[in-house]
Amino acid sequence: MGIYVYVTRRLLLSLVVLFGVSILTFLLTRVVPSRPEILWVGPRATAEQIAKAREILGLDKPLYQQYLMYIGAFVRGDWGISIRTKQPVLRDIASRLPASLELILVSMFLAVLFGLPLGILSAAKAGTVLDHLGRLVSVAGVALPAFWLGMILQLVFAKELKLLPLAERVDTITLLLHPVKHITGFYLIDSLLSGNFVVFVDALKHLVLPAVTLSTYPLGLTVRMARATLLEVLGEDYIRTARAYGLREAKVLGKYALKNALGPVITVLALTFAYSLAATFLVESVFAWPGLGRYASEAIMVVDYPAIMGITMLVAFTYVALNLIVDVMLAVLDPRVRLE
Amino acid sequence: MRRVFLLMLFGVVTFGLWSLGAQPNVAVYVYNSEVMIFWDPSDTYSNEIIAMNNMYEQLIRYDPFTDSFQPVLAESYEKSADGLTWTFYLRKGVKFHTGNELTAEAVKFSIERTIERGMGASYIWAPVEEIEVVDRYTVRFHLKYPAPLDLIASGAYAAFVFDPEYSDHEWFAAGHDSGTGPYTVEAWKPGDYLILKRFDDYWRGWEGNHFDKVIFKVVPEPSTRRLMLEAGTADYTNMLPITEIEALKDNPEVEIVTTPSFQNLLALFNTRKPPLDNVLVRRALAYTIPYQDIIDGVRFGYARQSRGVVPYGLWGYSDRVKQYTYSLEAARFYLAQAGYPKGGFKLLLTHVAGDEDERRVAELWKSTLAKLGIELEIRGMPWEAQVELGQAPDPTKRQDIFLFYWWPDYPHPHSFLREMFGTRDEILFNFTYYSNPLFDELIARAEELAGIDRAEAINLYVEAQNILMEEAPGVAIYDLKYARAKRTSLKGYVDNPAYPHVVFWYECWREE
Repeated sequence: MGIYVYVTRRLLLSLVVLFGVSILTFLLTRVVPSRPEILWVGPRATAEQIAKAREILGLDKPLYQQYLMYIGAFVRGDWGISIRTKQPVLRDIASRLPASLELILVSMFLAVLFGLPLGILSAAKAGTVLDHLGRLVSVAGVALPAFWLGMILQLVFAKELKLLPLAERVDTITLLLHPVKHITGFYLIDSLLSGNFVVFVDALKHLVLPAVTLSTYPLGLTVRMARATLLEVLGEDYIRTARAYGLREAKVLGKYALKNALGPVITVLALTFAYSLAATFLVESVFAWPGLGRYASEAIMVVDYPAIMGITMLVAFTYVALNLIVDVMLAVLDPRVRLE
Repeated sequence: MRRVFLLMLFGVVTFGLWSLGAQPNVAVYVYNSEVMIFWDPSDTYSNEIIAMNNMYEQLIRYDPFTDSFQPVLAESYEKSADGLTWTFYLRKGVKFHTGNELTAEAVKFSIERTIERGMGASYIWAPVEEIEVVDRYTVRFHLKYPAPLDLIASGAYAAFVFDPEYSDHEWFAAGHDSGTGPYTVEAWKPGDYLILKRFDDYWRGWEGNHFDKVIFKVVPEPSTRRLMLEAGTADYTNMLPITEIEALKDNPEVEIVTTPSFQNLLALFNTRKPPLDNVLVRRALAYTIPYQDIIDGVRFGYARQSRGVVPYGLWGYSDRVKQYTYSLEAARFYLAQAGYPKGGFKLLLTHVAGDEDERRVAELWKSTLAKLGIELEIRGMPWEAQVELGQAPDPTKRQDIFLFYWWPDYPHPHSFLREMFGTRDEILFNFTYYSNPLFDELIARAEELAGIDRAEAINLYVEAQNILMEEAPGVAIYDLKYARAKRTSLKGYVDNPAYPHVVFWYECWREE
């Protein structure tokens, strides 16, 4: 099977997956007992107002028709109006996505920056104190509840030591004094592009605590994966041969072993990234971070089905896309994959 | 490379110094959820009022502490002896944020638009027959029956006056305002913040110590709100759990403001389903509520036991109304009379999921009911689901006890009596499913008298409430006391229960 056929087949399969997710989510959000029309009109609505809302929202139509209407509009870029915020879902998501992405990317960066070396060291020095430390970090990172860690960090670094800001993305008053032009929605990038260093520094300071909090899980994961796969690779014959030839250990590790050990680490990190998009709500809540996770949790609390659909589709799309990219990369690298 | 770095450092330092020098006078209100959802001043019926009462104004404002009205957009008003005609004389030279002038036409247009849209609390205008423009600055309301139009016109919802030229629903929804208030929208980032800036042409002027801008921040986590207040990055917050309030009490930089609210917690009994269709069982139940334990243990004293169903501080509240006490002996007596000397039945109580106070009230109650052999199932549900169960077509499929908070649309006892206990063809909030023609007639007469003879109206409301105490279709458990946390340096704040959670920022200032 050629690479093109393989990619085409995977693309078609991805479409089927997305289609399935859309039906399943639509059904799930609609079988949960809820009254979107009551939420739509606000508290204490009269029966008349509620009936009118049912009509406006199309809830009086059969479910399959509602789904067809939804999916038809969806592919045309109309993701519906959020029942809770009364704003177009796509705009809601677009305005919250940069905040989440900025936080997740920085936390991922931290996770790789510290996790990878620690994992490698842990594997290279297996059984030593360093290895035990690495394993401790990996277990703690995965097991610590992030919101709790966030609160502790707030107490120590914001309240007691007064070193870092307590919460929010940027100090609103600083933003008022030094307005930032909206270019990408990432404060770090936008402030740099417009030469606004005050906001850049402020945004960076605001990022530290939430990013550290959020990085613990991927950090633990990276250490664990890097260590495990590297240990496995290090036991292979070709490594033994390389060592037998008398190559320097650093070269064996860095050039021959690591290359083969990184694949699984990247796969796991890519999936964690997609998962983080909507799963950061506890951290976002603690740090008053106006991101997608908080939007998602608030939507779920009140069964705001257009918003839930929109977020689920976005996360599903990210999963599928990342998976596809990783698989295609693996297929390009390793022809055996294509033959399966 | 080094030069670039030095240049950057220089930039950061100068910017930093400059920002320290030009600190604007900004107030920060941290709120637990999204502030702006309904932007349309005709429709708003929720959180928005905390911002909107700074962007928009009513004709007059109600002061419940003195039971009087302050002139706002109307300098004065008068009513006819029969209470059917109300004339408001408008202030001259008041500008909308759009630059247009406030006129009687604008008032007529605003109120009529609100009535026509029929959203939110628009039905408070139900008594209005016609609105007449007498001249450019005089507007007259003709009523169908005598009603306290001053209370209606001062309402926290549905009584805003806006510029007719800028009153397109979509335009509002995109984050615009066209009021006459001291502040107007500067920036809005949904899910994050709303920034209001001062309106330079505000009719009261900007002499003195007013804030230039007000920021409303969405901070869902209570502990973060508390820490922000302690750090001084917030000036005011509401809705802190009592545990956080207690923790802030001893901080000299933070002040807790306590005010009786017009909000009470009610337990409505299903009068159409056994065993609560029996008045004796309902009376017994009213005696099983551990009122004082709830006030001490759940609200840490930030509440007082209700008397009748009209909350303390609102006109219509009276010492002449009977009050239940916690008495298991009395409960046993009535249960025995009803044929349940050993209890032996199970009740379903529903409340809003996530409301810790409601859940804890229910838990305490459950323990006292258990002593009488009554099992209480507590079910926390999303509000929509709680309502749906309460409106189920078959009364026996509904809950037995509906626990929830009520507050008035405008400061009038009527809403407490009519909505939950008045006879209704279709259930909206009458989760007692109670119907008593005598009661209905009393409150209807009281409503008509409220505009002309307040004292007599109160007499009728007292009589009506005593019927409720006798028949016990439901009990108000406690009247909530608001406990707000603010920086001690924030001055001028008055917690007006007629405008729940609103800070009138124009009247506040900071004293370092």
